Amino acid sequence: MSDPLLHAHEIAVSFGGVGALAGVDLTVPARSIVGLVGPNGAGKTTLFGVLSGLLSPRSGRVELAGADVTRASPQRRARLGLARTFQRLELFDELTVRDHLVVARRIRERRDRSLLRDLVGLGRRPSPGEDEAVDALLDLLDLGKFANQPVPLVPLGTGRIVELARALATEPRVVLLDEPTSGLDVHETERVATALRAARADRGVAFVLVEHDVELVLQLCDDITVLDFGRVIAHGPPDEIRASADVQAAYLGTAPAQKTPR
Amino acid sequence: MQGYVLAGLVLGSIYAISALGLVLTYSSSRVINFAHGATAYTVAVFFHWLNQVQGWSIPASAAISLLVFSPLLGLALWGILFRHLTHSPPDVRFLATVGLWVALPAGVQLAFPFSQGQILQPQGFATVPVAIYHLSALGVSVNANQVAVLIGGAVVVVGLSALLRATPVGLATRATVDSPRTAAISGINTTMVTAGSWMVGTALAGLAGILLAPILGLSNGEFTLLLVASFAAAVVGRLTSLPLTFLGAMAIGLIQGIAVDFLPSHGVLSTGFRPSVPFIVMLGCLLLYPGLRRERFEVDRRAGARAREVAPPPPLRGWRAAIGPLAVAVALFSVPLWLSTFWVGVVSQGAALAILFLTFTIVTGEGGMLSLCQATLAGIGALTTASLATHSPLFGWLVPNPFSSATGWPIGLAVLAGALVAVPIGLLVASLSLRLGDVYLALATLAFALLIEQLVFARPEFDNFGAGISLGRPIFLGINFNDTSTFFLLLAAIFCVLAVLTVNLRRATTGLVLASMRSSEQAAATIGVRIVRSKLLTFGVSSFIAGLGGALFAITIGRASPDSFEVLIGIVWLAIVASFGTRSVLAALIAGLLFAVVPQLFSEHLPTSWAMVPTLLFGLGAIRLAVNPRGSLFDIQHSVRVLRLRRARRSPTFEGQAPA
Ligand SMILES: Nc1ncnc2c1ncn2[C@@H]1O[C@H](COP(=O)(O)OP(=O)(O)O)[C@@H](O)[C@H]1O
Ligand SMILES: [Mg+2]
Repeated sequence: MSDPLLHAHEIAVSFGGVGALAGVDLTVPARSIVGLVGPNGAGKTTLFGVLSGLLSPRSGRVELAGADVTRASPQRRARLGLARTFQRLELFDELTVRDHLVVARRIRERRDRSLLRDLVGLGRRPSPGEDEAVDALLDLLDLGKFANQPVPLVPLGTGRIVELARALATEPRVVLLDEPTSGLDVHETERVATALRAARADRGVAFVLVEHDVELVLQLCDDITVLDFGRVIAHGPPDEIRASADVQAAYLGTAPAQKTPR
Repeated sequence: MQGYVLAGLVLGSIYAISALGLVLTYSSSRVINFAHGATAYTVAVFFHWLNQVQGWSIPASAAISLLVFSPLLGLALWGILFRHLTHSPPDVRFLATVGLWVALPAGVQLAFPFSQGQILQPQGFATVPVAIYHLSALGVSVNANQVAVLIGGAVVVVGLSALLRATPVGLATRATVDSPRTAAISGINTTMVTAGSWMVGTALAGLAGILLAPILGLSNGEFTLLLVASFAAAVVGRLTSLPLTFLGAMAIGLIQGIAVDFLPSHGVLSTGFRPSVPFIVMLGCLLLYPGLRRERFEVDRRAGARAREVAPPPPLRGWRAAIGPLAVAVALFSVPLWLSTFWVGVVSQGAALAILFLTFTIVTGEGGMLSLCQATLAGIGALTTASLATHSPLFGWLVPNPFSSATGWPIGLAVLAGALVAVPIGLLVASLSLRLGDVYLALATLAFALLIEQLVFARPEFDNFGAGISLGRPIFLGINFNDTSTFFLLLAAIFCVLAVLTVNLRRATTGLVLASMRSSEQAAATIGVRIVRSKLLTFGVSSFIAGLGGALFAITIGRASPDSFEVLIGIVWLAIVASFGTRSVLAALIAGLLFAVVPQLFSEHLPTSWAMVPTLLFGLGAIRLAVNPRGSLFDIQHSVRVLRLRRARRSPTFEGQAPA
């Protein structure tokens, strides 16, 4: 196998002297779906912070598409094809659902650099192919009926799907999903799962999935890493994880397939 | 030397008292009180009034001012304003306290008319004539007011640490400061603690004010210096640490005191050095504190979630959308037809200010940045333009004049140069503090504005004994703009062009990018927005507009004078723009026109003692943002649209929005 698309090596993070992650490894091959599970407070969101460049690790290395990006800004990682969603929604409250996708796409196309064009009033026009691409993504995630709603008006569950849509609109190579289905109903959850499979099949996107819905993780992922207290306690394909006694003890046994309401 | 150390200790103690109050209130409610200096001023005036006007004894006046009046004032302000701000978005928190900073002194000057004039010898704690003690062992003389300061400082420091360390109230306060939620869960009445901290904080501001008055004078302007020094000390303490804040305050005071020994005894440096110390200290902290940097994505977090608000109905489309702006443009351009030449002149000032005010629309409305130096940038634009146009020296050098005439640059070109000069200066200030988040940008721009005001604007070639530099009007394209109406039309046209450009920008990709940054910098960064670059770009554009507006305003009134661009005028501008809405170009126009017209109306039709009423109203308008965060214009537009929507909903053809 060639170099993995995204690789985290021996990541350690501490907040004010208290360790949140200690020597965590994570490998994401291209076109794969990697599960990251563990109880609340295990450090999953913190690891996403490190991978996406919002947090700097105390030690360790992050590689993205063959480049060492440990010190790179979130913006540079985005340009290299990394996107993410947030567990605590980080939507753009003044924009409509559609504009979330438009702005993400246009930054990808570097249209945020055309100040002069914007000043004279040409900046409102969609780029060639933009409307079609955005519509396709809205369809894929069944967001069509919310397209022109400002996000404060959409339901919380839909907000999560908007986060996913925005991430996909950057045309990423790998997306970090932080509890994308918490607060979603069964139908919406199925929609998200379908969208992940479709994005992988059609666009070759890889995913890292943080998820409390264990059945969903076992069913979707090629590979699973289990975190507890900031350490990797198990790592392997779904069958192995299902069988592992450690994991049962730390996690699966205690709260089987339970959705945490938020 | 010892004398200067003593002077420094005295200043440092006053700063410390004030800064401790600032940090106390910030830590308990996450609101930086930009009106802290104004509060100090209010209490000092009240004390002076009790003692000098009412004839009460000094101890009685002091006790009433500090133990009754200040806590009540603090409680009232907390109840009316600060309480609501803890959970407001950062810009509202900022603008509302700026509004208070504008309104409070205006209210004081209305309530206590004696404070409108200059108070020659403000009363301190010492009886006049002030006793002087010679301490031969140390080789210094110290007067009774200085003794009062040193005693006051010691009492506050000892009292505050005893209160916080050793009493149940202190424990509750510390718990609330650390984590309001945990404190609330463990049964602490955090509301009481926060209210209490505002009462104590206001009393500390008041004490600092009374102590400062006999040393610096009792004027709103001088109290800005106190405010900025307190801010710098608070930044040393990262806005939360009381001991570090105390040390910072003493250091600033000592540097200011001792430096007098080494500086030339007259000239701009001697008067300008003191105000530059807080800026330098603040800058040092901003650059050196690694902790401040790392917090860059957490600033908003800590402050509580952005309020979720009901979004407006969709805007008008097609030709209907053009009706409003066209009507405004027609009304604006027809002003010379229905107003006398005098009033066209007044409205011209308003139009020039409207152009200037677009700087706030861009930097705060679009960029979401909190800047207090836009007026200073306007002043830089105006003074540069005037110096070039009249061929007068800048910092002692004559700028080469490539144009044959002996008089100076053509005015149009000078205006452009003035606007361009403001850009790198604005970018420099912004780049130093942008990464650190909203609050630090506001503090750094304020300190910078004060620095320029004292160090550059005060120079004789600009100030010219208060007269400024006179400026002519342009003649180009064969049109003579000396005619009041013609010049007004030029200003109106410039405003319209800039307004259209602003709206274009907002509706284009840039607008989407800026909107995304305003809501969530984290999310914007992870989709690839280069935050710092976008903010700098926005700040640069806003600096250009500030410089341009400043130059045009100077041309309109016929002279470029530093007086027109003081920090305290800048905050009134910001307050009035904010009260109509920083997101709207129409708000900038209305604000500009009102700022010029209302005081003129007042002075023509009402007694002079009412002169502060417009300022009071402008400040109150900004305070209202606490309940009405988008400004009154948005509110009106919103109501109109909701009405329209309701009417449409009743009609059978309405297709409706998808239900939420
Ligand atoms: N900004 C922060 N400051 C201090 N501690 C934090 C911060 N973010 C997370 N933590 C701590 O780090 C640990 C891991 O948190 P997190 O990554 O959110 O876990 P998970 O996403 O697995 O539930 C927790 O103990 C949490 O309290
Ligand atoms: Mg998490």
